[in-house]
Amino acid sequence: MFSNKISSKTPRRFLFLFEILALLLLFIHQKDNFDKQTFINGFALIVIIYASNYILLKVSRGDNYIFLIATMLVSIGAIMIYRMDAKTGTRQLMWLFLSILIFYATYFMLKYIKIWDKLLYVYIGGAYLLFGLTFALGERKFGAINWINIKGVSLQPAEITKLLVIFIMAAYYSNYNKYKKTKYSSYLILGIMYSFIALLFLQRDLGMAVLMYGIYIGLQFIYEEDRKLIAYNIGLFIISGIIGYFAFNHVRVRVETWLNPWIYINDKGYQITQSLFAIAEGGFFGKGIGLGFPHFIPLAYNDFIFSAICEEMGIFTGMGIIMLFMILVYRGFKIGMSQWNMFFRILAIGISILFAIQSIIIIGGVIKLIPLTGITLPFVSYGGSSIVTSFMALGILQAASEDMDWQVNDDE
Amino acid sequence: MFNIFSLIFKYIFIIIIYMFIFSIIRLIYLDIKGINLTPTGDFAYLKLLNRKDTLPFKIDEYYSIKNVLSLGRSGGNDIIIKDPYISKKHFKIVEDEKEFFIEDLGSANGTFINDERIEDVVKLNNGDRIKISNIEFIFVNR
Repeated sequence: MFSNKISSKTPRRFLFLFEILALLLLFIHQKDNFDKQTFINGFALIVIIYASNYILLKVSRGDNYIFLIATMLVSIGAIMIYRMDAKTGTRQLMWLFLSILIFYATYFMLKYIKIWDKLLYVYIGGAYLLFGLTFALGERKFGAINWINIKGVSLQPAEITKLLVIFIMAAYYSNYNKYKKTKYSSYLILGIMYSFIALLFLQRDLGMAVLMYGIYIGLQFIYEEDRKLIAYNIGLFIISGIIGYFAFNHVRVRVETWLNPWIYINDKGYQITQSLFAIAEGGFFGKGIGLGFPHFIPLAYNDFIFSAICEEMGIFTGMGIIMLFMILVYRGFKIGMSQWNMFFRILAIGISILFAIQSIIIIGGVIKLIPLTGITLPFVSYGGSSIVTSFMALGILQAASEDMDWQVNDDE
Repeated sequence: MFNIFSLIFKYIFIIIIYMFIFSIIRLIYLDIKGINLTPTGDFAYLKLLNRKDTLPFKIDEYYSIKNVLSLGRSGGNDIIIKDPYISKKHFKIVEDEKEFFIEDLGSANGTFINDERIEDVVKLNNGDRIKISNIEFIFVNR
């Protein structure tokens, strides 16, 4: 194990060991009232993850680390969610089954269907349609109208929209020379993106608005030839940020609780102070799974899962999660840089930016590094639409990690 | 009893997570160390399709083709691969007026283009797969 020779099997085995030990811990915990069904589900999932990592190595010639990293993050998250609420944990496992299926579906769809870069208008239309759906059917939950409820399953359409934003940018900039002929086409894209951000603002989904802006400015900064536009974009964002701060109460609250949450500890600063208490309580090695009090943190299995993990599994695990995200993002950029096909290149970079910004926003938020905005931690948090879209994004990244060039017709 | 186990397990979990991260970083490091610079510009090259860490001998990801490229097990070739199933002189790719032709040099186990064994000189097209032993290259010419 400690020798210099690390084969490609090694990380897969560590992951397997980690999950088996977690299941063993659950078994010890439940020895009096043993729940057979959960146990079978958990074991089935471990086998599926192990098999997926193995199959992927055979099926895909591309990157074989990103899926490993993602499944590790999911495992840490699932253990924590299950520990806090067994019912939610079981549902998370179900979502995970579905997500892995969707991962493969996305991967094969992107690999074998070749019209993705020509559907710019479809993506824009789809994004507006999803916004329309949210406003028509949405319900207010935790201060934001970003959920629609279909037969008891809550979905967050904005999760899909964030992927559509990446597709819009990729479809636009990979055919940049074609669209450039239309005058002010980049300004049109700017307008569309700002309309998305404004709509998210109206839904009070600040985290998602910042995330979409981050993806947009990141890709624009890399590919836009009209450099003036980037300056306009940054200027516009600063101005709208300042206006937002003075015009909307819910924006002001976020900044106030970030600067000093302690004077609002009983009401609006409650979340963030509880999160800080939990992290401090855990220390370097944590209290041990099942021995802390993560229930004191509101939304502990959703947005605040990072604090809950830090409390029970220690700051070291927290740092491990951050390192895993860093490797994932690094791999994403590497995939983007070695991809020849422009469309997939932009997709890969966009998705890397997505993972990077989304994890920074929420991890930075819960440790009071930046103002807190509610968004899920990719792969770790509970949430059907969140985990499904995270795996969808991973599937896209997996497809982009393969050489696509000789599959495209020579019509250039 | 659960408490004792939980206290022990938290250390084990952290150790496993870090071993996992370490092993991935180590693999990525090996991967990066072996990268030959990706060829740029518009000349033709061969790209290895196998995963490099599955092959037990020295091999590069990319081989650019300039005029002539020969492959074999013995020292005089442009690409030397110490695979016992590869003949001493295995095949040769020759450039002629921007077109590339491959010729098998009487190898014992043959050269396969898109899964067909070649007998004669064959013209290479962009995206052709060249297979020798269980090593597979793809020919790229933009």
